[in-house]
Amino acid sequence: MREVGIVGIGHTKFGRSKTGYIEMACAAALEALDDAGVKPLAGHGIDQVLLATMGASMINHQSSVASALVDTLNLRPAMAETVENGPASGASAIKMGYSLIASGMADTVLVIGAEMMRVVSGWEGTDFVATMLHPEAEYDLGLTLPALAGMFTRLVMDSYGVTERDLALVAVKNHQNALANPVAHIRLVPDLHAISEDEDKDAVNPYVAEPLRLYDVCPVSDGAAAVLLCALDVAERFPKKPIRIAGIGQATDTHTIAEREVPTDLYAVREAARQAYRMSGLCPDDIDVAELHDAFLILEIVESEEVGFFKRGEGHLAVREGKTSLGGQIPINTSGGLKAKGHPLGATGVSQTVEIVKQLRGEAQGRQVTDAQRGLLVNFGGFGNNVVALILEKEA
Amino acid sequence: MFEETEGAVYGYRCTACNELHYPKHQVCRACAGREFEEFPLEGEATLVTWTKLYNLPEGYMKPYLYFGIVAYGNGIRAAGQLEVSSPRLGMKVATTTGLVKEGGKDDVIGLIYR
Ligand SMILES: [Zn+2]
Repeated sequence: MREVGIVGIGHTKFGRSKTGYIEMACAAALEALDDAGVKPLAGHGIDQVLLATMGASMINHQSSVASALVDTLNLRPAMAETVENGPASGASAIKMGYSLIASGMADTVLVIGAEMMRVVSGWEGTDFVATMLHPEAEYDLGLTLPALAGMFTRLVMDSYGVTERDLALVAVKNHQNALANPVAHIRLVPDLHAISEDEDKDAVNPYVAEPLRLYDVCPVSDGAAAVLLCALDVAERFPKKPIRIAGIGQATDTHTIAEREVPTDLYAVREAARQAYRMSGLCPDDIDVAELHDAFLILEIVESEEVGFFKRGEGHLAVREGKTSLGGQIPINTSGGLKAKGHPLGATGVSQTVEIVKQLRGEAQGRQVTDAQRGLLVNFGGFGNNVVALILEKEA
Repeated sequence: MFEETEGAVYGYRCTACNELHYPKHQVCRACAGREFEEFPLEGEATLVTWTKLYNLPEGYMKPYLYFGIVAYGNGIRAAGQLEVSSPRLGMKVATTTGLVKEGGKDDVIGLIYR
């Protein structure tokens, strides 16, 4: 199999997009092409475009968007497909791009993740995201992702002694990191006391789905991110040194969360990470920086255990000790995470990849992990029923 | 105050090996069988976890709803709406069914634990 690396990255400012869907997606794509020194003219050398999106069809009422992107970006006659795997669409598309290159079907693949959520009301957005759930056993009851996360949070709190203050600590850490990330959606840091201890905390930080509060949940964001993948054997075409994709893992779990054997486990996270470690020949100790899918803050804590950074039930203790902060044992979500950077569903896995590439290139100004060589990311779909993990490594 | 079982919710028993499933699967997780017979989810169950949800999807004219996941003695676990005054982990609840979503002709009858 051919080795694959990343030679270009692009990322829009997450938040409320000022442009339409296609223009937003193209902004990220063009930044990645510029970063890789690719001019979109005849002979551009881009073999394939993959677009990761969960909602373009349902929310933006556009289908076959990858084909539209290829034309407007002047990348014809590149192959094009749209990839939909819920909130894990982004890392899924990177996995598929990797496979196309490794198999010899393509030398270069431009992966774009783009989602425009804020054109619909909050209610419509919540309902759209909830369509991932089991139609009869979950969705029809009125269940939503925050409701599942609330029930999961209560179980983890009850089993391992995680507190509301622990979640607030993760919130403050991730918002602090986002201050140094110019593309983050929210760039202000909540006061730990005000959101977790103050007598007015119910007003400042109201419950969304008990025991989950507002500051435990990611915002609704528009945004796009892009990466250019290439075979390492053609990497000399591009000015920047490739960041190698060293490991990929993916696993699925039961559709309904009620059917999970151990309801506090995120089995698909554990299995996806195990595969990515095996493929890369690396272990959790080798990882210098990680982006973990913190759509709900409890997920960052449990994922940090499932990927092997900490023992079961000790992820929240690591947060208290600052082990996951910048300068700690394993900095997590230096970008601000989904919590503060934002979570435009299909863009998220690509955005996480962009952050890890920046860290490994040494381009993460203000939030740089010293001498980062290897990074892990976890992109979490459904409520953990489809998870993709990637390990990236700086070339020696 | 609630509608009596006007539409039961069913679990599915594999006719080849008796493995129980909820919700419906096309293939038995134990023996790969494809034939199932329905049995109503009923009786007492134990509350495994719960939440009080404030931001409801479109179509609900209420400020919040309680939801829970329960475990039955036969091993089935299911999610439902929850109507108990003060939910506690491990408490016993009774299976009922009723209107879980109002949508005119799209009314949905589902599990409500009380
Ligand atoms: Zn069977």
